[in-house]
Amino acid sequence: MKRTVMISSLVALVIIVAFSIFLGTRQPVGPASAVQTPLQGKLAPAFSGQELSGGHLSLKSDRGDIVVVNFWASWCGPCVEEAPNLSTFAWQERHDGVKVIGVVFSDTVSAATGFEKYYGSLYPSIIDPGGQIANRYGVTAPPTTFVINAKGRVVLSLVGSLSTKQLTQVVNRVRG
Amino acid sequence: MILIWLGRISLYVAFASLLGGVVDQVLAIRAKRAGHALWWGLGALVGILGAVGAMEVALITHNFSLAYVAENNATFTPLLYSITGMWSALEGSLLLWSLLLTVVTVSVIFYYRKEAADAVVGWATVVLFGVGAFFTYLLVAPASPFVHNPERVLQGAGPNALLQNNPLVAVHPPLLYAGFVGFTVPFAFAIAMLITGRVQDRWPLEQRRWTVLAWGALSLGIVLGAWWSYQVLGWGGFWGWDPVENAALLPWLTATAYIHSVIVQDRRGLFRVWNLSLAIATFSLTVLGTFFTRSGVLQSVHAFSSSTLGPLLIGFFFVTVVLGVVLLAWRGDRLRSAVGVDHPLSREGLFVANNVLFVGFAIVVLLGTVFPLLYQAVNGAQVTVGTPYFASIAAPLSVILLALMAVAPLVSWRTVDAKVLWSRLRVSAWSAIALVVILVASGVRRPTVLLAYFLAAGAAGAALRTLKGVVVAAHRRGKLFSAFRAPSTGGMVVHLGIVILALGIVTSTSYTTRAEVALAQGQSTVVNGKYVSFAGFHQLKDSLDTSTQLLVSVGRDQLRPAITIFNGRGGTTVGTPAIDSNLWRDVYVTFDAIGANGAVSGAQVQDKLAAGSVVLGVTVEPLLAWLWIGGLIVGLGSALSFMRRRHNEELA
Repeated sequence: MKRTVMISSLVALVIIVAFSIFLGTRQPVGPASAVQTPLQGKLAPAFSGQELSGGHLSLKSDRGDIVVVNFWASWCGPCVEEAPNLSTFAWQERHDGVKVIGVVFSDTVSAATGFEKYYGSLYPSIIDPGGQIANRYGVTAPPTTFVINAKGRVVLSLVGSLSTKQLTQVVNRVRG
Repeated sequence: MILIWLGRISLYVAFASLLGGVVDQVLAIRAKRAGHALWWGLGALVGILGAVGAMEVALITHNFSLAYVAENNATFTPLLYSITGMWSALEGSLLLWSLLLTVVTVSVIFYYRKEAADAVVGWATVVLFGVGAFFTYLLVAPASPFVHNPERVLQGAGPNALLQNNPLVAVHPPLLYAGFVGFTVPFAFAIAMLITGRVQDRWPLEQRRWTVLAWGALSLGIVLGAWWSYQVLGWGGFWGWDPVENAALLPWLTATAYIHSVIVQDRRGLFRVWNLSLAIATFSLTVLGTFFTRSGVLQSVHAFSSSTLGPLLIGFFFVTVVLGVVLLAWRGDRLRSAVGVDHPLSREGLFVANNVLFVGFAIVVLLGTVFPLLYQAVNGAQVTVGTPYFASIAAPLSVILLALMAVAPLVSWRTVDAKVLWSRLRVSAWSAIALVVILVASGVRRPTVLLAYFLAAGAAGAALRTLKGVVVAAHRRGKLFSAFRAPSTGGMVVHLGIVILALGIVTSTSYTTRAEVALAQGQSTVVNGKYVSFAGFHQLKDSLDTSTQLLVSVGRDQLRPAITIFNGRGGTTVGTPAIDSNLWRDVYVTFDAIGANGAVSGAQVQDKLAAGSVVLGVTVEPLLAWLWIGGLIVGLGSALSFMRRRHNEELA
C-alpha cells in the first residue's frame, strides 16, 4: 500500500517538474500562427496575373527561389500592420534567393493601388479577379501567407500579421 | 496622481494584511487558539476595495494620467463599458481576481467563525491568505495597474471594440473569475485536511458546498461566454475549443468529477485520497489556465497580450501541485479507507465510471491545448489543434455521460439488483422509446440525434423520478419546503439543466442551415424556405461608433445586421450579427460583404458584385435558445446544492 502511494507520487512529481519547466521556458508566440493546409508538401498551384503597377507576373518563373506569397487586402487591419514588415523583409532578402509576391484578395483595384503606394511596397502584388488564386490556395481570410521552397512545394501557411523577424526565421528554416 | 497613490497604497495595505494574516494564523494554530483571521481578512478587503475604487473612479472620470485608463478607456466610452473596462486588460483583470478572492476568503472565515479554533479551518485560512498574497503580489510589483502616464492624452484608446458592444461583458468575466477563485476554497480545505490528517469529519462535505458554488458560477460564466461569442463574433457558433475556453473547461471537468465522487465519500467513506487529489488538481488547473491566458505562450482569440507573468504563474502552479503531491504521499497511506467498491455496477461503481470519463476528458483537453507548444518545440512550426480533434472525443463521451445520467441516479448503493433497477427505470425507458418513435414518425432520421434524444429522455426521467421521491418524502413529513434542501435536489436540477443544454447543442448543430445570398437594394429571395429581402441601408452615428445597418427582413421579422466602426484604436471594424430568437429556432443574419466601390467603409468588398448590393449570411439554428435556458437551470441547481443538508443530518 505504502509503496504504491510513494511510487505514484514520485511519478507525478517527475511529470509535473518536466511539465512546469517545459511551459516555463516557452516564449510568447509571434502574432502570426501556422495553420495546417491541404497544400502542405504539395506543389504550389501556379498562377499568373496582372500586377497592380501594370506588369505581368507569373509564379512559374520564380522556381529556384524561395517564394513568399502573401494574400492581402486594403481593408484588413493586420495587413496594414504587416505591410512595412513585408517590405523590409523583401528588401533584406532581395539578393538571397527569396521573392515576395502579394496577391490582392477581395478588394478593389483602386483601393489596393492606393494602399500599395501609401505603404511604399517593395514587392510586386498581382490582382486576383474573382478570388480564383485565393480559392486554389484555400485562403479564406487575409492576411494569409504561404512559404514555397526552391522546389516549388508549399512548406508553411501562416495566418495573421507577420513580423520581419518571424519571416526571416521561417525562411532560414526552409533554407535548411 | 492622487488616484495612483491611493491605488498603490491600498494594494500595499491588502498585501501586508494577507501576509499578516498568514503569520497570525500560523501562530494561532501553534498555540491551539483562534486567530484574528476576520480582522486580517477585512483589512485586505478594505485595501483591495480601495484599489478597485481608485481604478473605477479613474475609468469613469476618464483620468488618462493612469496608463491603464489611457489604454483601455476613451472620452467617449459609455459608463457601462468604463466600469467593465477594469477587466478588459491584464492588470485590471488581476485586480478583479484579487477582489473576488478576498471576498471569498472573508466569507469563508465569517461562515466558520465559531470554529475558528479548529485546526482544519485554521490551515485552510492560511492557504487562502497565502494564495491571496500571491495574486496581490502580482498587482503590487510585476503587473501594477497603477502606472503613471506622463504623456498628455486627449481622447484615449478605448476598450477593445469587441468588449464594448455587448452588455454581457459585465457579467461573463466576473462569473468566470468567481468560479476560478472559488476553487481556492476546496484546495485550501484539502491542504488543511492533509496537514491535520482529518478527512473523516464533516469537512469533505463542507468542502463540496463551496466547490458547488464555484462550479455553478463557472458553469454560468462558461455558458454566458458562449452566448456572448454567439451574439458578437458573427460566426454563429458558441464554442471553438480555443485555449482560453479550454482553460475554463479544464477545472470545470475535474470539479465535476470531484462533486460526484465526494458524494461517495460522504455515503460510504471511499475515495478519500482521490477526492483530495481532485480538489488540488482543480485549483492547479485554474492556475495553469491563468498561465495560458496571461503568459502569451498560446495563440488565442482572447488571450491577454504577452506579459512577464509567465514564469511567476508557472512557478506558482508548480508550488501548488508539488505541495499537494508531497502532502498526499506523506498522508495518503493513513487516509485510505479499508473497504472498496463492492460491485462495479453499484452506485459507487458508476460514480467511478463518471470520474474516469471526466478526468479522462480533462487529460484529452489538456493534451490538445498544449500540443501546439510540444509540436513547436520539436518541429519549430506553429500549429493549431482544432475542433475536429476535440469534437471527435467530446461527442462519444457526451453520449456515455447521458447514458450514465439515465441509469446511475436509480442504481442502489453497494449492490445491484436487476429487478429493482428495472422497476425504477421502466417509466423513463418507455417514455424515451415513445419519444424516439414520435421523432421518427415526424421525420427525424439521423441516428445520432435519435440516440441523443433517447438518452436525454432517460436522463431527464431519472432526475424527475428522484425529485419526485424527494417531494413525496418531504410532503409525508409535512415539510414541503425541506425538499429544497434535500441532498439530491440541487444535483438533479443540474442534471435537468444539462439535459436541456445537451439537446439544444445536438439539435442546433445537427440541423443548422447556412446560406449566403447576394441581394441588391429592394430585392428579395427565398433561402431554405425563408423569404429574405433587403430594403436598404441605415446609418447610425454617435460619439462611440459609426454603424451601417442593413434593413433586412426574414419572413415577418425585421433584422438589422451591421458593420460598426469604433472610434479609437485606429477605427476597429466589427461586424454585428442580427439575431431573431425564439424557443423554436434562431435566425442569425450577418453582413458579409458589399459590392464594388462599396458605399460602406469597413465592409469586405467584392468585385464581382454590383455596387450597392450586399452579401448576407443567413443561418437558421433550431432550438438554440434551449442551450442558454439549460445553462440558467444549471446555475439554479448549483445554488440549491450549495444549501443542501447532509444525508444524515436531522431535520430540525
